[in-house]
Amino acid sequence: MEGSSTPLTQNSSTFGIGIHPNDQLPNCFLVTGWEDSLDQGDPFESALSSIVSSPVAPHAGEGEAGMIRELIGRLGSICDSGQASPGSYNHSTTNTPCYSTPLNSPPKLSLSMADQLAHGGFPAPGSHFPGHPSFVSVMADPGFAERAARLSCFGPRNVNAANLNGGLGLNASEFLGKQANKLDSGRFCRVPSSQSLRANVGSQICAQGNERSFLQPGVSTSTPENGEMGESREGSSISEQVTHGEMRANGQIDVNSRKRKPILKAKGRNSAVSPQSAKDSEVPMENEEPITKKIKPAETDGNEKDAAKGDQKQSKENSKMAEPQKDYIHVRARRGQATDSHSLAERVRREKISLRMKALQDLVPNCNKVTGKAMMLDEIINYVQSLQRQVELLSMKLSTLNPTVDFNLEAFLSKDILHPQGPLPNSLYPVDSSGSMLYSYQPPQGLMPMPSVVSSNMDAQFPVNFLNSGIHRDASLNLPLCVDNYGEASAPAPALWEDDLQSVVQMGLGQIEPQRVEQGSLATSQMKVEL
Amino acid sequence: MKNPQRSPTNPGSLRSRFTQVFLQSLLRIRKHNPTSSSSSSHGEFLKRCRRVKVAAYVSMARAVGTRRAWSRATLWRARNGERQRNLLYGRCSKSNSRERSLGKRKRKKKKKKKRDNEEHSFGHAKKLQKLVPGGEAMDFCCLLDETAHYIKCLITQVKVMRSIADFYSL
Repeated sequence: MEGSSTPLTQNSSTFGIGIHPNDQLPNCFLVTGWEDSLDQGDPFESALSSIVSSPVAPHAGEGEAGMIRELIGRLGSICDSGQASPGSYNHSTTNTPCYSTPLNSPPKLSLSMADQLAHGGFPAPGSHFPGHPSFVSVMADPGFAERAARLSCFGPRNVNAANLNGGLGLNASEFLGKQANKLDSGRFCRVPSSQSLRANVGSQICAQGNERSFLQPGVSTSTPENGEMGESREGSSISEQVTHGEMRANGQIDVNSRKRKPILKAKGRNSAVSPQSAKDSEVPMENEEPITKKIKPAETDGNEKDAAKGDQKQSKENSKMAEPQKDYIHVRARRGQATDSHSLAERVRREKISLRMKALQDLVPNCNKVTGKAMMLDEIINYVQSLQRQVELLSMKLSTLNPTVDFNLEAFLSKDILHPQGPLPNSLYPVDSSGSMLYSYQPPQGLMPMPSVVSSNMDAQFPVNFLNSGIHRDASLNLPLCVDNYGEASAPAPALWEDDLQSVVQMGLGQIEPQRVEQGSLATSQMKVEL
Repeated sequence: MKNPQRSPTNPGSLRSRFTQVFLQSLLRIRKHNPTSSSSSSHGEFLKRCRRVKVAAYVSMARAVGTRRAWSRATLWRARNGERQRNLLYGRCSKSNSRERSLGKRKRKKKKKKKRDNEEHSFGHAKKLQKLVPGGEAMDFCCLLDETAHYIKCLITQVKVMRSIADFYSL
């Protein structure tokens, strides 16, 4: 496969690996550069290729996590079933114990690997070899490729879930997604060996991305990944690296162990051993230094953002070790910060909240300039209120629909869902946020259901030129009841209000006189107050 | 963003699910409450509007399912509201007592959570709690999470309702 043949030093090699959609064991993927195994046409390879080549499917955040967990579970089941890539192992190495045993006892190895992986962070160059058999067996799952493909696109986000569950998939996805991106060369060196155990592939890929000394210090053969590859191919250094990696992994397990607790932010806190490398894998796109452990994929985004924010902190990040307790999230205090468990927990909570606020900021339009929690909350509250008001108005409108109209589901679905915007004419009036109020109430077919209410309020509150071009400006001033607080953002009118305005104008001009529209909108406001 | 909107052409998407459920409920409302334009009084019209509005929220909650706290709260409120109405009319005594105890438990839970909420922007949080269904029983962090999802669903709901209204009124 060309992936294997391409020089590992290239960042694109990982992608290159992905280019082979063969249905064979993806051994070669793990042993990138181990051409013997590659010849087998491993399904893993094909899986990984499909991973790389397949487009990222957008998923909801929980979808990703669920996917990852599912994937991990499948990997685990594969490990348990004792699958092993038959031929590739034999080809790849000869004297590596891990390789010699895989066919015989892949479950053990893979389980141990998985265990280490669960604790580990990033793949370290040196120790990736021992993980190979487990990887191969694990990666043999054809479904893995698919998921890894999806996961890979999410990059750092996957780290948490994968770490949580054993990280096999994560590693693959990690380096798939990331290696071409940022991995600074020096960063990965620091990855603790336990992490390196996790992903042969990852390490290799990372090695590729990082060029040289991706290997952990002390690993004898860990210099150029090409060299690694060569060695791995021959299998000479594998045992050494295995032992090195294992020892290191054990030594660092407490450092890297992460809890299953679905909390988050290990980001700023973790990675005493390898802050930079951890960060690397996390946030390729941001050029940040990601943190090693992510407990939860959902937190990855926040971690990324945290990384962005606390860049300087992370760069200096060092290690005040938090007490590693097996049933807590491992959180490290940042340099120069309190190590009190309370303050740590408080910081975690605060970062969680800021994560969520950022997510909300993306949802609520026109809040980019708003900073601060209080202002953001105000905006959010206003937005929710305006949306609820719109629902009310629309329900009123729907309740007055012509009774003879048949709610033909199929016709509606086929037409509407496929063409959500509908064939609306161009608005005659400049659309701005105050258009929402114009849409306040529009009795179809000229029906005026609220004559009593209207008559009581038939003051000339609205300018006669209500429907004229200058309406929007005047109306916004004269209809305080109808205008949302949110409507103050006049310049970038939300798209939905634009549709509103167009439809309103269309119907209003056709059927209703300006007076009635005024009455309608006023009636609506009155009704809103009543309701 | 982490939660990208699903494609509208996806048959299983939130939007299509909501559309189906909502149209069904609209049909049901129309069947049970036939109105003719000439005879609709103010009160009836308001009642009908309210029914449609409740149907919209309940349809959205059903489309979301029970995996979100706010949708669970909406559905519970819809069911509970019915039972409370029966309470008023003195029907189902058994369900009354059950609902009352349930309500008490829920209220206690809410109070407890309110006390636990120590967010500094407490005033805003309270307001938001009132807006988001089921928000009173959440801490600030979960409240923000639920709010994000709720806003997303509200946007979908508004879009669908608007398109329905436009489609059938044109």
